[in-house]
Amino acid sequence: MQPPAGKLNLREISVLLRGESETISVWSAGWNARRFALHVGVIILGAGIYGAAMGWWRDPQQAMFVAVKFPLIILLTALGNALINGMFAPLLGLNIPFRQSFSAVVMSFAITSAILGAFSPLIAFMTWNAPPMTAGVANINYSAIMLAHVAIVAFAGVTGNVRLFQLLVKLGGRYAALRVLCAWLAGNLLLGSQLSWNLRPFIGSPTLPVEFFRQNAFHGNFFEAVFHALRQIFQFN
Amino acid sequence: MNESNAIPPVIPAVTPRQLGDDPAERVPITNAFAAIEALLRQPRRLLFQLRQPGAGGLIAQMVFVSAVCALVYGVVAGTFSGGTQLWAAPAKIAGGLLVSAAICLPSLYIFTCLSGAQARLAEVCGLLAGLLMLMTILLVGFAPVAWIFSQSTESVAWMGFLHLVFWFVATLFGVRFMKHGFAHAEAKSQAGVNVWICIFLLVALQMTTALRPIIGTADTFFPTEKKFFIGHWINCLDKATSGDGRTNSRD
Repeated sequence: MQPPAGKLNLREISVLLRGESETISVWSAGWNARRFALHVGVIILGAGIYGAAMGWWRDPQQAMFVAVKFPLIILLTALGNALINGMFAPLLGLNIPFRQSFSAVVMSFAITSAILGAFSPLIAFMTWNAPPMTAGVANINYSAIMLAHVAIVAFAGVTGNVRLFQLLVKLGGRYAALRVLCAWLAGNLLLGSQLSWNLRPFIGSPTLPVEFFRQNAFHGNFFEAVFHALRQIFQFN
Repeated sequence: MNESNAIPPVIPAVTPRQLGDDPAERVPITNAFAAIEALLRQPRRLLFQLRQPGAGGLIAQMVFVSAVCALVYGVVAGTFSGGTQLWAAPAKIAGGLLVSAAICLPSLYIFTCLSGAQARLAEVCGLLAGLLMLMTILLVGFAPVAWIFSQSTESVAWMGFLHLVFWFVATLFGVRFMKHGFAHAEAKSQAGVNVWICIFLLVALQMTTALRPIIGTADTFFPTEKKFFIGHWINCLDKATSGDGRTNSRD
């Protein structure tokens, strides 16, 4: 049953998580400012709480910073790629309006954020049990916590995209959906990884101060760093 | 009755749908925004309108949109170095793109005729304008991402590579539109158009070297040394791997 228009309905989050593509495709076809605000709210809250749990190990101030930065990355990625994503959809066989492509991406990010938010108590518990982050002794714990983050973020991201794919299939068929999803994923990966690089640190380092941006936040980029790391590993000159 | 004398049923030949079959395709395109919308969502409508008498106005609008979009993307590219590049980069990108198209237009018309396509010069101009417009509006779509990277990295080689990737993706879609247009011009073969696409890519790539620096900076507006683009790329990569490429003081 559709909730009355103009009223926030938190049950809609469970509809999103279940991936009820019939209902979600109806939602995405029309514009509802309150529903959009709900999705943005889920992103801010879910990713924010997860970010706080992530930064808490280093310092409470770091937790506050990451609680702001994590949702910021998600929202800026959606916003920065909105134009190109909106253009890719019709060009790749999915003739949906710009607004619909944007709200579909935001919906998938809301699903991802809701999952992250649900995992934040687990991460907080893990952090609480971990010994304090101090230089030299925290390496094994650091690796364990890092791996836990990778696993959770990957799970949340994959689930969000599977739900998005189901919606796109409903809107335009399997092949068009696959093409559009791949294009959107490539764009979001490109911009999202760079924004994460600019807005680092997240977990923080015991040897570096707690700060919102690193001093060199806008010097270099994510892919250059990966390239230099690979060069060091393989001893290229 | 002998079955061998039975007349086999006539199987209708499958012909591609003619442009203008759908009434929506016959709705005139009245302004530049409608042209952009049609190019993205109803390319057949745009192709139909380009075949109509008096399509010159529409083509002019498309070229104008391409120039504006190229200028916008150029400003974003210029933010990497700032200063004079804020106006030099847009001028070079927009100018270079239009000059590349103008240089390649005669050969496109010749290849179109050689392939047996029934396309007038105006229609060929329209298809080329469509290629340019789709390329440049996609570049504007990439502009926010390009800007983020421009503000983050100091490597000219990396930024050059990123702009090339964006340009290449945009060109792929533009070329696809153009080939879609030629498919309706009853061409006997697409080989000529394919050859022309290679020529256009080479000209556009050489233009980026002929008009350098577009991303970095230099003392003169135009380069003092003549180079082919592959040689220029090899020099840039050498600088980047030796560490010089981590500064934007050179192109």
